[in-house]
Amino acid sequence: MSFMEFVLAAIGIASALGVVGFRNPLSSAFSLIVHLLSIAGLYALLGAHFLAVSQVVVYAGAIMVLVLFVLMLLNLKSESGRRIGIVRSALTLGVGLVIFLAISGPMLAQFENIPQATLEHNVKASEGTVKAIGEVLYSEYMVQFELSSLVLLVGVVGAVMLAKRKNVQLAPREGGMRGGN
Amino acid sequence: MDPITSYLGIACLLFVIGGIGICLRRNAIVLFMCVEMMLNAVNLAFVAFSKIHGNLDGQIAVFFVMVIAAAESAIGLAIILSVFRSVASIETTDAAELKW
Amino acid sequence: MEDIRLALVVLIPLIGAVVSYALGRAAPKVAGMFATAAVGASFAVVISLWRALEGGQTFSFTLSSWMSFADIRLPLEIYFDKLSAVMCLVVTGVGSLIHLYSIGYMAEDESRPRFFSYLNLFIAAMLILVLGKSLPVIFIGWEGVGLCSYLLIGFWYTNPEFASAGRKAFVMNRIGDLGFLVAMAILYHACGTLDITVLSRPEVLARIPSEMGFVAGIALFLAATGKSAQLPLFTWLPDAMAGPTPVSALIHAATMVTAGIYLMARMFGVIELDPMVPAIILWTAFATSAIAAIIAISQNDIKKVLAYSTVSQLGFMFLAVGVGAYSVALFHVVTHAFFKACLFMSAGSVIHGCHHEQDMRRMGGLAKAMPLTCLSYGAATLAIAGIAPFAGYFSKHAILESLAHAHNPYLLAYGGLIGVGATAIAICTAFYMTRSFILTFLGSYRGEGHPHEAPMVMTAPVMVLAVLSVTGGLVLNHGFFTYLQGPLPPVAEHAGGGILGYILGSVPGALGIAAAYVLLVIAPAAKEQVRKVLWLGEKLSAGKFFVDELLGVFVIAPTRTLSGVVSRVLDQSVSIGTGNAIGSISRAIGELTCRVTTGQVSTYVLWMFASAALLLYCFLPVR
Repeated sequence: MSFMEFVLAAIGIASALGVVGFRNPLSSAFSLIVHLLSIAGLYALLGAHFLAVSQVVVYAGAIMVLVLFVLMLLNLKSESGRRIGIVRSALTLGVGLVIFLAISGPMLAQFENIPQATLEHNVKASEGTVKAIGEVLYSEYMVQFELSSLVLLVGVVGAVMLAKRKNVQLAPREGGMRGGN
Repeated sequence: MDPITSYLGIACLLFVIGGIGICLRRNAIVLFMCVEMMLNAVNLAFVAFSKIHGNLDGQIAVFFVMVIAAAESAIGLAIILSVFRSVASIETTDAAELKW
Repeated sequence: MEDIRLALVVLIPLIGAVVSYALGRAAPKVAGMFATAAVGASFAVVISLWRALEGGQTFSFTLSSWMSFADIRLPLEIYFDKLSAVMCLVVTGVGSLIHLYSIGYMAEDESRPRFFSYLNLFIAAMLILVLGKSLPVIFIGWEGVGLCSYLLIGFWYTNPEFASAGRKAFVMNRIGDLGFLVAMAILYHACGTLDITVLSRPEVLARIPSEMGFVAGIALFLAATGKSAQLPLFTWLPDAMAGPTPVSALIHAATMVTAGIYLMARMFGVIELDPMVPAIILWTAFATSAIAAIIAISQNDIKKVLAYSTVSQLGFMFLAVGVGAYSVALFHVVTHAFFKACLFMSAGSVIHGCHHEQDMRRMGGLAKAMPLTCLSYGAATLAIAGIAPFAGYFSKHAILESLAHAHNPYLLAYGGLIGVGATAIAICTAFYMTRSFILTFLGSYRGEGHPHEAPMVMTAPVMVLAVLSVTGGLVLNHGFFTYLQGPLPPVAEHAGGGILGYILGSVPGALGIAAAYVLLVIAPAAKEQVRKVLWLGEKLSAGKFFVDELLGVFVIAPTRTLSGVVSRVLDQSVSIGTGNAIGSISRAIGELTCRVTTGQVSTYVLWMFASAALLLYCFLPVR
């Protein structure tokens, strides 16, 4: 593992913990931007140049701007003081650990003994330049690519409809209300 | 550790961190960000797989995940906005009208 | 032979019921016409089927398979033979005339669409009853007509008295229905089938053990007494007059109340398993007929007279059933449908014309005001009195003659007595019908306001029925019995013909008419003398033989006590206790499980991750 990889991975994990840990959502959001940028760096190191750029433009750029915009719009303060119980936290961490072990164990074992020669050959083949990605995308994945535009269109229309609707209001919330009783 | 498998390990770790975040946080936007983080973890694994197998299919999958994530973020944030309009809060504990 | 037309016969009125109700809001006037057209169309289909019926041929049609589990298979199958044909023709034919009449009668009622919807539903249920191929299907119709009867008696449900009359009819019918269910259970247990075509075979009926045969026969007769208003369940029929008059004409005179006769004729093999059953039927019918005829004499409400007369005439039909002359009973069903529907509808016209006055003491002299109605009522009165050559003469005469041929080991020498008694009842019938005619149409008007003749849409169907009451017997007398010889046992060929026979046969009717005329018109003074002589009879008649009161003391009071005890012991301790226990257990489980659904997304996600972890742990070996 090269030094660069190590640094980016460390930043990525640290900023991920920051997203979860900061009480102020705004701090979380900025932490996430750092996280996404570090992942973009990892992409670049893996040879996926096109994805690295897309990650910066789409994720760290567009999506995070949207998130920050909503955060600013809602003008939120930090999460309310209600703390999560210690049992709950312990349970969550335990479950997380089990999942981590359960996924990473087999996965790492699977790819442990790949001959270095094949790997080096494959690195060449999987060079994700814009040209290479474009060739595959516009030939093999043509239909899916076109369909993804439809998904985006639906997303846009849906977002407009949801954000526009003002007349539907839920009843004001009562404390300790139990539906059905 | 082999450099490639270490990427997979990082991906797993990020995925679990995102999941733990969803379990522990209450702010809907933070939840949303945690989901994005989990998606990114999977994306990272995809790119690593692409490198291991020596073809571009994994990277194409990441491309499509990004498309979906863009659409999802637009709709998800719109939903959060409309929830905020009706219950004046985006904490998931406050939007619990449908519980028993 | 399968025939789709058979399904149409039932479905058209059913659709009519739905559509005429749906039309209600938009066009109440059209609803009546539509309903009438539906029944008319059904009548036309029945005619075409009846014309196609040749020899011993039958039609059947399977609407759907209703129940099918284990070795029980109950298709929703309808069946058309000569017996069904006769009933269907009466139901749809007289039914369509009464529908037509109702358009005029109900013209001013707010809820006409509901009325016509019920009427059409009734026709559909009645057709299912007479067309059912198995007892359960017949039972659907049986219950359906009971329901419609209830709905129509209580049609003006805002009047609590009318609503309670409907309830009484329903409850009394339920008692009879119990008999139907018991009979079905016994027959299924013994024969393994409820198909009427199979159940009419002697070798199948032979499988019923003799003591069960008696119970089954009595149970069927109990069902018939409920529906056809025989002792001790007849008191609902006079009360049923609370319904609109067309309902009385259609349901409580022409069609539904004859369902009991139809059931007896259909299941005659079961009835005759034990000779005790026909004997019981005979005596019950005789008692009912006599009691109802005596009560009818003292009634002042025109519809009540007709109601008791109906009970009495139904008793006559059961007399024929009791001696095994089923086709004779059916013949009386047909002629009775003609003249009784005609009488009821004429009475309806009178009530309509006298501004909803039903008391005959406030009528009189209506012959001038309503000549057409008077004419039809008169013709039908002559028919029911049994004057040759009107319709009633032939059927009544056939019943009296079949009584003479009766041979039943349990009847001993009393067979002749019943014959004589039945003749006396015939005289009574002529007497009270003439009385009602005189009180209504002769003399001078005693009521208020000006009576007026009914509109054309009402008089026309009445006239048609009047013509049928006059000629129906003469036309049908030839060949009716031979026509029904396929599904029903043959009856002894009766004489009855010839001018001399007509004159002799009309003597009882003429006696009754003459007596009424003498007592009411020529020498009213003699009436008081007769009253004094027959004081006991008058008391019983006016008190309606206290059948309701007797039922109250001997049936309702003990039942009430018993149910009170049951409700205290069983309901409150056992049922409610268990019910509460079950309820609280499930409530506790619910309370417990609903803790899982906290409404917190993070909890759900935690559960999801935990399950995922569990699955991964189980299926992916952690190496």
